[in-house]
Amino acid sequence: MVSGAKAVRPKYPSADTLLYAEVIRPPEYRLRNGLFTCRALAAVDENSVAQIKGLVQLVVRGNFVALVARDIQSARLAARKLALVWADEAAADAAASSSSRAPAACNAESALAEVADGRQRTARTYGWPNRLRWGNRPGWVMADARPDCLQVWAPSQTPGLLQRDLAALLSYDTKQIEIFDGSRSDGVARSCADDAAADAALLSQAVGQPVAVWLSPAYQPVVAALGQAQRIDATACWSPATGVDEFEYQLQSAANSAPVLAMLLVNGGLQPLQAVGANARALYDFGQSKVRQPGASTQAYRAPAQAPLQDTFARESFVDELARDLGADPVAFRRDHLTDARGRALIDSVAQQAQWTPEPDHGLAAAEQGDILRGRGFAYAHSPADNGDAEQGTRSAWVADIEVNRVTGEVLLNRIVVGQDSGAAIDQEALREQLQREMLEGNEPLLLGQEGFDQWGRAEAPDGTPAMAGLPVAIDLVAPPATPASGPVAKPGASMPLRYDAGVLHPAVAVIANALYNATGIRFREPPFAADRIRAELAPVKRQYAAPDKSRWRSLATVAVASSVGVLAIAWPWKGAIEPISRPAANLYSAATIERGRLVAAAGDCVVCHTDLEGAENVGGRAFDTPFGTLYSTNLTPDEDTGIGRWSFEAFDRAMRQGISRDGRNLYPAFPYTAFAKISESDMQALYAYLMAQPAVRSETPQPEMSFPFSYRPLMAGWNTLFHDPSPFQPDPARSELWNRGAYLAEGLGHCSACHTPRNAMGAEKSGADYFSGALVDGWEAPALNSLSKAPVPWTEDALYDYLRFGASDMHGVAAGPMAPVVAGLAELPEQDVRAIAHYVASYSNAEPAPETALQAQAELLKSRAAVSPSALDAGQRVYEAACAACHTESDFPSFTDAQTSLALNSNLHSSTPDNVIQTILYGVQAKQLELPNIGAMPGFKDSLSDQQITSLVEYLRLRFGAGQPGWQDIAGKVAHYRAHAGTH
Amino acid sequence: MKTPLTLTVNDRTHVLDLPAQTPLLYVLRNDLELNGPKFGCGLGECGACTVLVDGMAARACVLPIGRLAGRRVTTLEGLGTLEHPDPVQEAFILEQAAQCGYCLNGMIMTTKALLMHCPSPTEAQIKAALKHNLCRCGTHVEIVRAVQRAAGLRQDEDTL
Repeated sequence: MVSGAKAVRPKYPSADTLLYAEVIRPPEYRLRNGLFTCRALAAVDENSVAQIKGLVQLVVRGNFVALVARDIQSARLAARKLALVWADEAAADAAASSSSRAPAACNAESALAEVADGRQRTARTYGWPNRLRWGNRPGWVMADARPDCLQVWAPSQTPGLLQRDLAALLSYDTKQIEIFDGSRSDGVARSCADDAAADAALLSQAVGQPVAVWLSPAYQPVVAALGQAQRIDATACWSPATGVDEFEYQLQSAANSAPVLAMLLVNGGLQPLQAVGANARALYDFGQSKVRQPGASTQAYRAPAQAPLQDTFARESFVDELARDLGADPVAFRRDHLTDARGRALIDSVAQQAQWTPEPDHGLAAAEQGDILRGRGFAYAHSPADNGDAEQGTRSAWVADIEVNRVTGEVLLNRIVVGQDSGAAIDQEALREQLQREMLEGNEPLLLGQEGFDQWGRAEAPDGTPAMAGLPVAIDLVAPPATPASGPVAKPGASMPLRYDAGVLHPAVAVIANALYNATGIRFREPPFAADRIRAELAPVKRQYAAPDKSRWRSLATVAVASSVGVLAIAWPWKGAIEPISRPAANLYSAATIERGRLVAAAGDCVVCHTDLEGAENVGGRAFDTPFGTLYSTNLTPDEDTGIGRWSFEAFDRAMRQGISRDGRNLYPAFPYTAFAKISESDMQALYAYLMAQPAVRSETPQPEMSFPFSYRPLMAGWNTLFHDPSPFQPDPARSELWNRGAYLAEGLGHCSACHTPRNAMGAEKSGADYFSGALVDGWEAPALNSLSKAPVPWTEDALYDYLRFGASDMHGVAAGPMAPVVAGLAELPEQDVRAIAHYVASYSNAEPAPETALQAQAELLKSRAAVSPSALDAGQRVYEAACAACHTESDFPSFTDAQTSLALNSNLHSSTPDNVIQTILYGVQAKQLELPNIGAMPGFKDSLSDQQITSLVEYLRLRFGAGQPGWQDIAGKVAHYRAHAGTH
Repeated sequence: MKTPLTLTVNDRTHVLDLPAQTPLLYVLRNDLELNGPKFGCGLGECGACTVLVDGMAARACVLPIGRLAGRRVTTLEGLGTLEHPDPVQEAFILEQAAQCGYCLNGMIMTTKALLMHCPSPTEAQIKAALKHNLCRCGTHVEIVRAVQRAAGLRQDEDTL
């Protein structure tokens, strides 16, 4: 097997010469049956990015477009500003117009059908994706293309394939290409690390300097666009009495792995890289056996290393299914139909070592089990030697034991038993080492979750090896049975042949698929076996809440509100206490789950409310002034007496979704359980795991001081019936995936509307046109996010993204007040998630997005109008000049200040209330996440300016920067109020 | 939040284990013993604490150190020495532009930033640039002359 990866990692390219690139993909592109189609680049206007400082080069090759700059911000800015036109219709590339036949329809209903004479027919279809996933964790992928050599730093799982692709794409000899940071040899999975590597290499060659690209979930669309690499239809006819007598096996696709995307975009089609004879063959003896190869296609791209994996996965899964249809033990069934004596001997010894006993499939009894499902599977492979000689080839048999967490969907590989017969004796220790490594490198992409919170924070161990969930695997090696006729048996030592490379991993994917079926009763016919897929298939037992029939309760409630409190308490279903538990052990959940929970907590901004005034996180005790009285946030640390230490997950889940404390008391909806009800099951579990793993802090929560009747908590049950919808988040199928992801984050965890939507007289968020129309919360105005926004320059999706990601937008200013810790929390989220929130929120401003130039012009106009100080308010002007102007004035020469955005663009000075302006002047901007490039910091002036000075200053600011809006009323009263009431943020 | 932070001051790199909100001025004066920058108002109003950050004038009393990762800070001490003063310092000495001298750090640093971006400023530009550096003794005329001398717009004949 070709291997380009080196064990020793050289230094990365020098930071002085390294450039950064952002790639722009066509709006539509796809690969189906070896046919690549894409909307072609029609025109590109280089002048649209000419003004961007730091931009080095616009690179266009066919339909491949990228911007290379000295820093990533400039590259991204250029990518955003670049004016380019794509052709309307996706055109099939002429070069790739091979006549692929349409894939046969796969109908699961008819998969098992009676044929005739009591004979049965089993038909199944297996698939293999071109990319298992975008990658394992975000990171830089770099390439340095020099005339005589190409160095690439990429976490490639298939460095051999990548090397071949790069050689063909950039005209190098494979010997000139070195790949670092990847696996040492081709594993089971190809990921977008290869696509990113090709992007970087292509660009490095184009600009003549090393180039870095950011590999992240932004590459996820490539996985869907490239689709399936192989489809295998398998059918068998059998009868319970005589067993299998007819077996047919059809490979549908001639192409068995897509090359790097850059190659498809640049060449506009597939280049025949290497003609490889199809190598699927009948392994078991089932009477009449037929193996049909796909029609020959000269345009097909063949990746020989992938074909046997795909083939073994399909065959071993199918044989497993057949055995179950026939009611046979899968191991015995294989053994009985194998003509190869050495193969039979190997299967026997592996089964013996693993203590294989025919077991029922656990999935059938899953309902009675706990959260952990256990299963074991078997798979066998036999690949011919390089010269095609099957007898001299490699046989390998595997048994795997797995655990599936039915709540999180995580699969843990506990133990594998491997037997390998490669003809001659082999170095068992070297084999074990290789297997350990391959399982580590190879199975992560196979089993990891797909997207969203799942891939967060997969930290690297200090030595640079990836941190693994549940690995290393216990590996039992089974010595192959004595093979006297198979040639000389080498003595242990250096001369021992290491012939295990060919085919050692072939059963790895099927064995997990078979074990998964055994554990869950669900058959996965296409990898990867990612946590989110497994979760979806397992359809976890829905927690049934006593959610009464809404319409009925609503009418009842209308009547009941008028009656006495006593009646109400009886009328609503009583929520009992949930039994306390002893605090769960800190190691109950995996490190990965806890880390994910930390990010869920960050996205949910728990600490914004649950941090005490001294800054101790999650201990609660912070006061909230509501129109109904004063509330205090609670202690979220796992202290057994004052915190949530004795809460079971069920109690926690109920509190989060229904607003009912463990002891059965209702919580007030200042705690946004109305939003948290939308959190997914697995995110909730991770959040619980995270909170329970934190240090317990004893901190008593003060009693709320609510006015009657709100002081009577059972009333909240009625409130819930009227205003709370505990149903989980439902994606809107009419909207894009990005929008729905943003909606999930914004409506659920992010609970944006808790502040940005006004509440009715009962303290419930209004709906309809009032959604996102702004509200005053705890002395701060949360401005309208919908079409009622008062922002002087309209918010765009890009501006929202900048604001949420970096804490400031150059058209609006910095995040402050309660929004500052929200931005700090968002800093933990993957870029794509912040983008999704911006996209979702932007969809609420009805206006058509104005072109960037129009926004710029409007900003300039506002600034020029405010440039001249009005002469009317001398007192305010003096205060402004003395206290503010040093930082807030745009002078002719640059100064280093956080007040970079003109006050003329500040939404708060255009708002209908002065609250935010007054709060900011009094208390300043005390951002915590100071590392964010644009977050602001400003001193508070409460000790140096009098009420009167602040009042005249606010009047002046409004007159000068408010673009002609009427002056505010009762500024003095509000200044006095906020000076006396510091607020809680 | 406490994170070790690397700060480059006058071409020397310091690793500080301090809250990110700590004002730069406190670090300079208390930890690094650089007393050129003065504590005046503490609110960014008077300019006595001015330093250069990446060559731009900045008010150290309101600048949290968390904002300075990867930046280069220059204080008065980083401009010149007694033996080899910076041309701006030399001009302020020659023009005798100090009375009590408390504001002079800010005047000199702001002038340095001005001249780096505008080597030959007009008198109006000089006054605009120094407008928000407060001097209560009244050496304003000498200060403007010193800036002109540092810019090479004024020769020795008027003085001494």
